Amino acid sequence: MTDDNDAVEALVRESAARAFDAGFSDRVAARLRATTDASVSDALERQVRRVVPLVAAASLMLAAYNWWGGRESASSALEAALNLPRVSLSSAYSTSTLVDASNLPLGTP
Amino acid sequence: MSNPTSDADLIARARDGDDRAFAMLVERYESAVAATVIGMLGRGDDADDVGQETFIRFHRALGNFRGESSLKTYLVHIAMNLSLNALKRRRRSLLRFVSRDDADDEIGNLPEPRVGPNGDVDAGELHEFVRAAVARLGEKQRAVVVLRLFHDYSTRETAELLGLPEGTVLSRLSRAMKELESLLRPYVRTGAMLPEVSR
Repeated sequence: MTDDNDAVEALVRESAARAFDAGFSDRVAARLRATTDASVSDALERQVRRVVPLVAAASLMLAAYNWWGGRESASSALEAALNLPRVSLSSAYSTSTLVDASNLPLGTP
Repeated sequence: MSNPTSDADLIARARDGDDRAFAMLVERYESAVAATVIGMLGRGDDADDVGQETFIRFHRALGNFRGESSLKTYLVHIAMNLSLNALKRRRRSLLRFVSRDDADDEIGNLPEPRVGPNGDVDAGELHEFVRAAVARLGEKQRAVVVLRLFHDYSTRETAELLGLPEGTVLSRLSRAMKELESLLRPYVRTGAMLPEVSR
């Protein structure tokens, strides 16, 4: 009886699986590469997510500031918010809006 | 041919991003992880997936690995925990999609090894049969059998790995062996089988 028990125990001991299907190491390497790529893109996504609300808030504040300063002179709220200069046909051809080359400092290429 | 590169060297190189060093560790410890995972889950995609995940977790923890336990024990511990989690998922999915009777039938079918005209049995088939018999044990008993018999850990080491008192490990092993003996004794008694098995 005890011999049988020992034999069963020995049989169980030597029946342990010794390997996965062929190419296991390559599958681990491939998955590791995929995990690393995914973690880089996840990190970038996290950074972008962190920055986007700040950029949006800064843009809104700038737009509000522009609108407040230009609400009298601008023809529309959008122009005011974007701080666009008023452009008309005559102002487009006006020499005062063109860069005067004679005013550039010396040495400017 | 012995490998002159120690685990510590390979781990240090893997930490520095040497993929080849990490691949050598995977090759070196594949058998330990396979014995754990296939012992717990049986051979298949599920086991392969858990085996890969074991090494991915190890790779992520390379920076924290201090070598307080041997690398084999560290990997077997991860593999065992992941296997137990996979069994929980499998049980939930079985309960959800398969009727209780079907589930019992599936577990009850053991692929018996074919006995040749001389009473001998192919060692590969017999080992598969033994693994199926181990897979038929309850999870708690199976975990003890895998660590005590497949890995030859002591009762104390098994208890530490599973977070159990040593007495519990002994009683689970005793129950498991009774069940395995009733299933496997017929194959052990046919004297012609033992030389075949020992090859």
